[in-house]
Amino acid sequence: MLSHKSKMNYESPCDSDNDWSESSDDSKCSDRESSVPEWDSDIGEDGELIYLLLKNTNEVTDRSGALLENYEPFKFRTDFKRSSTRRSTRGRIFKVLKSKKSRGKDISATKKDVNKNMIFNSETNCEVEKLFGIRLATHIDGKTLIVDDFMTEAKQFYTKVKVGYYLHKINGIEVTSYNINKVLQRVSEDVDSPKLTFLVVSQEHNIDIEKLLTKKIVLESVTNVIKSSLCSVLYLCCNEMEYQSNNDNGVLYCYPRPYGQNFLYNTRGAYVTLNHLAPKSLGTSPPLASTVLYNSKLINIAYAGNYNDLLLVAIPNNVVDVFSIKKLIVSIVKVIEFLYGSLKSCFTKLNNVDKLDCLFSRMFVSLMYKIDKEKVNLNKEVFVEDILGASTVSLPTEVKIQIDDAITELEAADYQEWTDDIENFQRLYTVIGACLYYSGHLLSSHLQDNDLKEINAYLRLNGILQLSVDKEIEKFVMWREVIPNGRWFMLIVGKGHFVLATLMEAGGCTEDAVGVTPPSPFYVEECESCLELLFDMGLDKYLFTMFISNTQPQVQTSPETLTKQGKKKDSALSEDRVAGRRADREQKSRRNSSGSDSDWDKQDGSRSSNMDNMSDIRKITAGQENVLFHFVNFESERGILLAPVRSIEAHANNLLYSFIVATFRFKINQSASECLNKILVAVKEYGILFDAPQEILNQCGVSKKHPETFSFWVVGRVFSEPEPRELYVCYHESVPQDLTEVAYMLSYLE
Amino acid sequence: MSIQVIAVASESGVPIFSRKRGNCENPQFSTIASLHGINMFTKCHKLSIVNTHVDNGKILWKEYCKSITLIGITTGGLECDLELLLTIVHDVMVFCIGKKDLETLKNIDQIKRDLRQCYTMLDYLLESLDTQSVPQKSILPDLIQSILCPQAQHLQPVLDHYAQKVTGRWACLSIHGHLVATSSDFHELDFREAKLLMLLAAAQDGAPLRETAVFLPQMSPNVAFRAVTCKLLADVYVLVMCGATPALSEIDEIVLQCWETSTHIIKEAKLVHPRNFPLSINFEPCVLGLLVININKRRCVFSRHLHLPNQKTRGMSGVYKTDILRTFFITTARDLTTELKMKDNEIKDCTFGLGAMTETYWCSEYHKCHAMRSGELMCCALYAATVPTHTMRLLTKQILKDISTSKEVFW
Repeated sequence: MLSHKSKMNYESPCDSDNDWSESSDDSKCSDRESSVPEWDSDIGEDGELIYLLLKNTNEVTDRSGALLENYEPFKFRTDFKRSSTRRSTRGRIFKVLKSKKSRGKDISATKKDVNKNMIFNSETNCEVEKLFGIRLATHIDGKTLIVDDFMTEAKQFYTKVKVGYYLHKINGIEVTSYNINKVLQRVSEDVDSPKLTFLVVSQEHNIDIEKLLTKKIVLESVTNVIKSSLCSVLYLCCNEMEYQSNNDNGVLYCYPRPYGQNFLYNTRGAYVTLNHLAPKSLGTSPPLASTVLYNSKLINIAYAGNYNDLLLVAIPNNVVDVFSIKKLIVSIVKVIEFLYGSLKSCFTKLNNVDKLDCLFSRMFVSLMYKIDKEKVNLNKEVFVEDILGASTVSLPTEVKIQIDDAITELEAADYQEWTDDIENFQRLYTVIGACLYYSGHLLSSHLQDNDLKEINAYLRLNGILQLSVDKEIEKFVMWREVIPNGRWFMLIVGKGHFVLATLMEAGGCTEDAVGVTPPSPFYVEECESCLELLFDMGLDKYLFTMFISNTQPQVQTSPETLTKQGKKKDSALSEDRVAGRRADREQKSRRNSSGSDSDWDKQDGSRSSNMDNMSDIRKITAGQENVLFHFVNFESERGILLAPVRSIEAHANNLLYSFIVATFRFKINQSASECLNKILVAVKEYGILFDAPQEILNQCGVSKKHPETFSFWVVGRVFSEPEPRELYVCYHESVPQDLTEVAYMLSYLE
Repeated sequence: MSIQVIAVASESGVPIFSRKRGNCENPQFSTIASLHGINMFTKCHKLSIVNTHVDNGKILWKEYCKSITLIGITTGGLECDLELLLTIVHDVMVFCIGKKDLETLKNIDQIKRDLRQCYTMLDYLLESLDTQSVPQKSILPDLIQSILCPQAQHLQPVLDHYAQKVTGRWACLSIHGHLVATSSDFHELDFREAKLLMLLAAAQDGAPLRETAVFLPQMSPNVAFRAVTCKLLADVYVLVMCGATPALSEIDEIVLQCWETSTHIIKEAKLVHPRNFPLSINFEPCVLGLLVININKRRCVFSRHLHLPNQKTRGMSGVYKTDILRTFFITTARDLTTELKMKDNEIKDCTFGLGAMTETYWCSEYHKCHAMRSGELMCCALYAATVPTHTMRLLTKQILKDISTSKEVFW
């Protein structure tokens, strides 16, 4: 009885399904009252839904505890019966949501000595609570520790420290959520009283991405932040007819408002004229981007023409550079066309202003807000990886099969077990395809390339991917109609760090959707149970470990060990090691000559015997030492790129490494292939050798007395076969690399 | 590919001139007015458009002396630092009519007439950017193209003597538009001024003896000097700056006295062209072209005839070699020389402190390019595609070493 009727009163068909109640779950299905899903009241008049509930993971030790926790092996699914995994999600969850807000840091610090002999009572048996009597939370950046609460007995010790301060140092050692456990261990072994340093924070920006996602109007405070950041968007029609009939001189949409305070609105004449003049009188193409100086700030403005209309997007240069904004506006247009069919229908749709405000405010905030958690003093924050396409990770085949299997099951929509009444059964939707993300990285996509690009751009620009990195999601459901053709719907479901996006079609062999179409609880549950299945397999724990393990392939995160001094320190430990270029070359030729797969596996497998499934720590560069710092493998057709997982840099916590990666990103931005003149088209490979500044080397333990140069290559190469792709690699100068070989090793991983 | 440069009086909006190169049409009055209007309008809103990207090109506005607005437009993937080019165009304008007249713009019709004399110089500048032709005089707008030869050492005292005789300063000798030798005080000139003098010499090609009133943008923007160019042999000119005296007829005699004995040295020096490097420096056959830059002196030596005619090199056309090396330098290798970047370049300055770039290379199906810097010298070399990348590094290093240690090289 999976019919349209049941959907209209939000009744999951399984409720009336006898088969279902027999399942192992202690089903609450019979409970009619709770059959209304918790997101029911959030459905808009147009049938759209965004429901978000975050896990209350303020206890940081819980999370970092997992780091020390023994690696839990991946559970293979032997039982392919879906019924066992199905979990009823009914029943409202009344959890108080504590949200930590990102704030600008202040310089002032408070120090506190804690008596070593004090041991506080902690119900949760948490080390921080026991030792210091404070409860910590993780900042939105996932790294900084925030004072969340004090134990009652400890309150008297912390008269100057307030909730919301950052715990900066313990005994002079900077602490983050990553290293807190180690530091605490040292503290508990130490005899002296620990010394805590707190950072006082001042309240500046108060932007909450969760609220931005769920609220149907943009708060004024958010608009004000965007206004002061000089981000702006404008859509105007330059058609004379419409121009005259429009009250706002052809401006169909402008954000942030009021109009008069928007610099883009005030100077729109210039861009319109230029857009008109360039192709007609100057013989150039229409303008793509302008850089302007306003309020002594450099701002990039991107143009997207649409017949006689013009969309303008302005973002400061320190957030998004010229190269990236040209790519960004393409993504924006893609998302708008995906959601509304065309730019015109998007900006002329009645009562759409609030929706658009929300969309653009989310977009600007998710672009800008990374700046707040800035740690290195580099202002290139929107990474080239984000702009180009969907970041993927290379998973072991067995894991990949399991994931694909779970998604395929969802797509297959085989509900035979659910009903005996197959004759009268008609599905509501055909599942076109789905794609799965974990912590912002694409795990698997069963979508067509173009659909994936659109969905990826949507998730990225709306900050959903970033949210899945920063927060643990309790429940996330998003539903809306999209317009590639026919009546298509996009259903996004999130849990933990997983996000599953599904494209569905109504009509055809399934029921026709008529009028406003709210989400069907049945399909939402199907998607949720698909994620649930992944949790049951232990994929979340597997991926968590994998993401911090730097394995696929391994990159060198302590570059200073490649210097002579670093090598000396190293060889003191293992003297039998052959080092130097010659040895590297010999090693390389030996490896090349042997060539067989098993040999290769042996060579690297030996390094990590205790890692089980993750024994495939792979080195893709030639030479004995790993000289690879960073890489990006971009397949332009598919819109997919492979790069080290994003958290690697934070885990490396190495200044030199961060410097190298930042240089890499900056350079790629400048050189990434754009159609240039005829000579540049023929260029296949482009390399630059950089010297790291001496002061950074010194800070990383290379002594000032024996200064040595640290050189690294940033090389890009274009491959046209088998599919067009671009490979960018960053490696230490000591071992020459052949990029074709690196590309081969990389593809071997996948 | 095309490039256009338009000059407009900032306040009145009167078009002053427009020069172009390539397959574009001369901009119409209404186009110029609209372009200028855009700039004026945004200025009213305290916003200035720094730069606009179009597909394969750029549009740039730049105001000088608060009186002249220069607009540059490139298309068709023409690679050049447009801002740098506009600055040089402005320098040429000052060079011809002086800073004061440009600032006040009192008699705009007169100024338009006066500026006509600098058109040839401007056209040479734009020619140096054209990818479709082989520019004879200059391939980079901001660098002084030179010939390295052992004769420079002997020519310097002659130039000094000549300058003294005409009670002038800053004398130099050019062969085929390339700087060969200078008087010992020539380094006092700003490199931009030296470049302008070379452009002037090139623009006055053919005249046996000529005097021109010029303003030096850095040293003397408001008081004119007298630049005297004299043809010694075919394609050989000597240039000197002097005061109002001696008269041109007297200079004619002085030239004869000073240069008669040096004819054979000049002829020897002339033979170095088009190789442009002393014969004592040899290059590997796989080196197809070379661009060596002395960063401090803003001088460059370019050669695509490194080997004797009997040494058969790969059949790559001269235009192609020139274009590749120039494009390689402009888009890529220039980043190795932060000194060559313009100081008031706001966009580039706001990027973060990169590590020092020391080398860079390109590989394509048909050729490879490699650039390396060593102290004051930078070498961009064009190699055959068969040369492995690491060999390329060794070869470039050797070339740099050969040039910096050669006793026949005088910058």
